[in-house]
Amino acid sequence: MMQTFTGWLFDVYPNETNLTLWLIGEDGRRLRLTHDFSAAFCAAGPAPRLRQLWNWLEAQPVRVRLRRTERRDVFAGMVTVLAVEVLQAARLDTLFGRVTGAFPELTYYDADVALALRYAAAYGVFPLARCVVEAQEGKAASITPLDTPWELDPEAAPLRILRLESDCDPAHAEPKGIVFAHGKARYRLPLEPASALLANLGAVLKQYDPDLVQTAGGDGWLMPRLMEMARQQGLRLPLNREDGLEVVERKARTYFSYGQIVYRGRQVQLRGRWHIDSQNAMLWEDYGLEGVLEMARVTRQPVQDAARLSPGTGISSMQFVTALQKGILIPWHKHQAETPKTAMDLLRADMGGMVYQPTVGLHRDVGGIDFVSMYPGIMVRFNISPEVPRAGTDLEPAPGEPGIVPMTLAPLLNKRLALKSALLTLHRWDCRRPSYQALASAEKWLLVTCFGYLGYKNARFGRIEAHEAVTAYGREALLRAKEAAEDLDYEILHMYVDGLWVHKDGCKTPADFEALLADITERTGLPIAMDGVYRWVVFLPSRVDERVPVANRYFGVFQDGSIKVRGIECRRRDTAPFIAETQTAIMEILARAEDAEHLKEVYPKALAFARREMEALRGGRVPVEKLLVSQKLSRELGEYSSPSPAARAVCQLQAAGKVVRPGQRVRFLFTLGKPGVCAWDVPEQPDPRSVDVRRYQTLLKRAVETVLAPIGQSVNGGKEDECQYLFPLKIAEPLGEGGTQRLDFLSISKVINFVNGGG
Amino acid sequence: MGRTLPSASQVFLQEEQAFARFRRALRRTDQTALDDLFVSARQHLAAAQYASHALPFEVFLLAILLEEHKEVRRLRERVEALSAREK
Repeated sequence: MMQTFTGWLFDVYPNETNLTLWLIGEDGRRLRLTHDFSAAFCAAGPAPRLRQLWNWLEAQPVRVRLRRTERRDVFAGMVTVLAVEVLQAARLDTLFGRVTGAFPELTYYDADVALALRYAAAYGVFPLARCVVEAQEGKAASITPLDTPWELDPEAAPLRILRLESDCDPAHAEPKGIVFAHGKARYRLPLEPASALLANLGAVLKQYDPDLVQTAGGDGWLMPRLMEMARQQGLRLPLNREDGLEVVERKARTYFSYGQIVYRGRQVQLRGRWHIDSQNAMLWEDYGLEGVLEMARVTRQPVQDAARLSPGTGISSMQFVTALQKGILIPWHKHQAETPKTAMDLLRADMGGMVYQPTVGLHRDVGGIDFVSMYPGIMVRFNISPEVPRAGTDLEPAPGEPGIVPMTLAPLLNKRLALKSALLTLHRWDCRRPSYQALASAEKWLLVTCFGYLGYKNARFGRIEAHEAVTAYGREALLRAKEAAEDLDYEILHMYVDGLWVHKDGCKTPADFEALLADITERTGLPIAMDGVYRWVVFLPSRVDERVPVANRYFGVFQDGSIKVRGIECRRRDTAPFIAETQTAIMEILARAEDAEHLKEVYPKALAFARREMEALRGGRVPVEKLLVSQKLSRELGEYSSPSPAARAVCQLQAAGKVVRPGQRVRFLFTLGKPGVCAWDVPEQPDPRSVDVRRYQTLLKRAVETVLAPIGQSVNGGKEDECQYLFPLKIAEPLGEGGTQRLDFLSISKVINFVNGGG
Repeated sequence: MGRTLPSASQVFLQEEQAFARFRRALRRTDQTALDDLFVSARQHLAAAQYASHALPFEVFLLAILLEEHKEVRRLRERVEALSAREK
């Protein structure tokens, strides 16, 4: 008898013959169904070879349906292909492996797309989609989505969450127990005896039956440890909801991306439940569980993959789904080279966004204006896609059908714009705010990456000319914005790719800038918005040469008192918490001034606070945890010609039997004597007296000067009467290597002496 | 992230490097004056990049001249203001 279920699609993965679906019913039931599903790949090449492939495939034991058809390749136009539909989709990978072995010279398409994505494209479903399923005897006959990934307030699935955490950081010391939390319950169980812990965990998994096991460090330590304990005890731990399946494990790897070395930890994925490790989830600090679920909904990647994937993989998945739905071929290996250009063309095209040098110093009443999602906006509005011929740099949309890139991006961009504008109107304490922010931030990452992928040689829908077109349009739009501002008598203080900082006497509220915003939108066709009006903002010079401004080092306070900071110590992940917190606290004191005039009242308070912190540091009253520096290991230890502090700390860890791979972070203290550092995660604790206080004093002094020196100069009068265009004075003494020189708070007092007319 | 062409700031550093021997032979006081000139060229890297001129050093020279002229203008205005006050 046919039954109908309404609920949320929880997970999709292949089994031996077809797909397994998990649903969370509206009635609260967790349901496992199977669904017969076929998937196709295509082959193109000389007709005789395709005929041989046809015959070869018919002789295979895997059941296939073969068809000769015309399909569209984004780079080559219409091509004749042999479409191979594998009736049991789960067998596609094995069959395809044998095909490429036997016919390596053919061009293949649609070959390496995950089954979950194919399923999403075929039925318009996605993780946590609300849907209606018709099923008979555990087999789904049809699935119909009731919503789309683009809802702002989708009906949330009632997830049961079990949180598991070790009672201390396993990288630092051996944990003694595990903390359980589910519903309102929270308790700790010791790791030993193992049988008691496993029995308890088993009971919780059976009775509470969580949908999501959320751990901190579960991929790297907790899950493997639990599974090992279960093996030793000869117990079966019901981590999976689906009996009889093994937990899925993936190995750790290190790779190079965007000029940075990245480490991805090993993975432990469950079947019928989700396991998310907050320490191994991309951007967890940015958007948390809600962002992860949003990532899964919009990219259509299964939740456990979505939690761990990079935004680049996310954007590729979205393009794959669009391509499958529109019948566009997805190249298996891309063989597309850059088209030849003249040297002059290359000279004009091979550029990034425009990055100006700001006018260094403190500026008051500054409007921060940003193009909203500039690059994705350009791609969507001007129809920039690898297969669409470029229309020139005049800000006009390319004619014709939207290409695959704008088609994929448009709903995502619209959703983000809708969230952003909702955020502007929602009340400050509205309960939807944090969730909208998480969603907008997840989408931001996808949109940002999309631009990079357009120029990435190996991206399936990448093409360098399209990438160059985007930056060219971006430069044009920024220049038009500059011209609009100058025509309206604004002074341009700074421009950075998609943002401008402008000042005009008398413009102090967002309303004062409205005419400018309207004019820019008129001239460029792109949406632009106020980031905010700064009471004051300081553009900082380069550390190396203080006469040279740098583009992305500034801090300022908006009219609502919130602080915006870029590129200074407290934003850097390798700054010790004590120093970052002190710098932030100083800026918070400065933010109490209601405008630039009142800085002179708060400046002495900030100075006094900084002195007290320096005293606390000198007096050893700062806990060592607050002095921990965390740096990435950028290469293998053997590759260092002179080991960085991080590398020296890793040597200590290795001596203690711990392995650190390039891309992983190491935490350490600066200590006196050789080797100058002490790794935090070695068994023996460092002696607090061995901390290199002077080195930390140097670092603190530098962080304090970054924020206080420019304020001090403008407060105490620099050039002329306006506190603008002030170059920082030469105050810092050259710092000795490793903080060997005696350094204290002298320089701050020097500033005061200097500005008070002393020497 | 490879680039086919060096960015304006890379070109600038190369040009600065190319004058290292010239700078070395200058007097200390002249060296600092030369450094000032390079600093003023550096203020216009964004425009130099956008210009994508085949001979970037010409653009840097023009940028130096531009900053010099701004300074001349500023000083001229100051002199005029001072002489107006004297009258």
